[in-house]
Amino acid sequence: MDQQGRKAIVHIENVSKSFGQTKAIDNLDMKIMAGEFVTFLGPSGCGKSTTLRILGGFESPDQGRVILDGVDVTKQPPNKRDVNMVFQDYALFPHMTVGENIAFGLELKGQQRGEIDRRVASLLDFLQLSGFRDRTPDQLSGGQRQRVALARALAPDPKLLLLDEPLGALDAKLRGQVQVELKDIQRRTGKTFFFVTHDQEEALTMSDRIVVMNAGRVEQDGTPEDLYYRPASRFVAEFIGETNLLEGTVRGSDQGAVIIDWKGHSVYGSANGGQPQTGSSVAASIRPENVICLPQRPANDRALKGRIVNRVFKGSKTTVDVQVDERDPLIIKAHVDPAVAHQFADDTVWVTWDTNRLAVLAG
Amino acid sequence: MTKSTRIFMSVIYWAFVVYLFVPLVLMVVMGFKDSAFIGFPIQSWTLDWYKGVFQDTEVINVFIYSMTIAITSTLLSLVIGTWVASFLGPYKFPGKVIIFAITCLPAVIPGIISAISLRIYARFLDIEPGMLAIILGHTVHNVPFVALVVMARLATLPKSHIEAARDLGADSLIAFFRVTLPYLRPALIGAGIFCMLLSFDDFVRAFFLGSYQPTLPVLIFAKLRSGMSPEINAISTVVLVMTAILGIWAERSMRRMNKGA
Ligand SMILES: Nc1ncnc2c1ncn2[C@@H]1O[C@H](COP(=O)(O)OP(=O)(O)O)[C@@H](O)[C@H]1O
Ligand SMILES: [Mg+2]
Repeated sequence: MDQQGRKAIVHIENVSKSFGQTKAIDNLDMKIMAGEFVTFLGPSGCGKSTTLRILGGFESPDQGRVILDGVDVTKQPPNKRDVNMVFQDYALFPHMTVGENIAFGLELKGQQRGEIDRRVASLLDFLQLSGFRDRTPDQLSGGQRQRVALARALAPDPKLLLLDEPLGALDAKLRGQVQVELKDIQRRTGKTFFFVTHDQEEALTMSDRIVVMNAGRVEQDGTPEDLYYRPASRFVAEFIGETNLLEGTVRGSDQGAVIIDWKGHSVYGSANGGQPQTGSSVAASIRPENVICLPQRPANDRALKGRIVNRVFKGSKTTVDVQVDERDPLIIKAHVDPAVAHQFADDTVWVTWDTNRLAVLAG
Repeated sequence: MTKSTRIFMSVIYWAFVVYLFVPLVLMVVMGFKDSAFIGFPIQSWTLDWYKGVFQDTEVINVFIYSMTIAITSTLLSLVIGTWVASFLGPYKFPGKVIIFAITCLPAVIPGIISAISLRIYARFLDIEPGMLAIILGHTVHNVPFVALVVMARLATLPKSHIEAARDLGADSLIAFFRVTLPYLRPALIGAGIFCMLLSFDDFVRAFFLGSYQPTLPVLIFAKLRSGMSPEINAISTVVLVMTAILGIWAERSMRRMNKGA
């Protein structure tokens, strides 16, 4: 049970998997709660698909176990598992109609014809595919195929739905729309979704929880907000969104804030995992939208003086590059309201931020 | 291309077409000649030769005999060829290349060599010359064609289709019959028709492996030796029409299915 009283539907227990010399998954241990939309996020080749395939039963782990709803399924073949997958290429059966594709899993479960027809009809209706029952997959658009693949995987009512980059084949505009749809479908069905993507924006848009993977290991596991504002590592900070990465040494602390010496400038931030050791070298991350630019020196002494060296108008915001040091050009990227951007006409600014927004990262 | 070369090219083309079809046309025409001797001039026409063919129980029996051999050996070739292809296709193992080469060998060995060796082998196995021996001979010859065509098709089947079937509750056997086999259908139809034609057309193997009961080509050969008569033309024309229809139908249905897949 987690804090919200949900039970773990899946427990991936210390799973490792290698292909020859490549360690695809390195001692992965994680739980997925019932009804959650969990996204597995990481760069290409970090072991996302392998993890999904282990859950689906297409690969067997070298070590560890997979517990599905309290039952060890590690040795079960895919057809015995109450888990269904939406494949990256959708894998719709070309010789079957949309209706037959969706009915496939139900037939193999031994359901009655009438029951199957009703279930297929309701899924077609639910996914706005009602008119397409008798078409074959080659008569559908990419978005429709994606929905048929989803309907087919949902049909047998699995305990867990696996989705391996299912939006990769769609064009950018459609992708944004489908992201919202998919999240909505998950909410309405209450199904547990385990979604894999390398697209951080997609992950932020849809997920209740994101697990960031890097080289077969979990980098961070948290809500989209956690990951965005409180990245646990440099990798996460850089992988998700745009950020300023400040490298320096810890100088000490002041009322809970960590003071970092950033090439001779004192910057204030906060550490998630407790005060780092004084003198240790660290990196710190601050999002451009959390950097505050002021035309005058503020009352507190936690601001840095700089000069705007570059500004780009982007409609809803203006992005500026602030050079903090003349000798050793240190740049901080910031977003400012275009309406007030003219205040920095002489290009001298003071940059500051809420101490909580500068995340001090280990290493 | 200049105008004169274009004319030259099309003349060559049509000359080739004529060269190809004149023998066939002559054969068909002579089947309607009201005389026991083949050749021009034709004074009167008749359908008697055709009537004769359709009333000749020997010809009809031989035709049925040949069809039985063709259909049976084709079915056997399809089953064995598909089995070989699904075994050789997806898996990697030592000696795969050698097994593949051995599988293909019967397709390239000269017919006469293959026929003699099959005859010896059949005797060794105590198989009487006759239908069974011919069927086995044709099957050995045709399996490589099926295996090659099926392997080529199998290579284009995305692995995810099988995985999707397994994922939705199919064991590997159900996945094969409900996903792989339908996917192979155009290849199987094409290969099957090809095997039928090869078997129906085969003279050498049927001659060496057969008993007193001849297949159609062997019968035609026997009739030829006792003198050329328009009856042979009539038999040949019937066979020609049937194979042409079969071939065209196969080609069309394969194209249709390839588009659907
Ligand atoms: N069947 C396989 N054989 C060999 N190496 C594999 C196989 N599957 C995956 N790998 C390797 O394992 C690593 C993780 O792959 P994968 O899980 O597909 O990554 P992702 O889905 O995150 O892009 C990669 O280095 C990949 O090359
Ligand atoms: Mg992948």
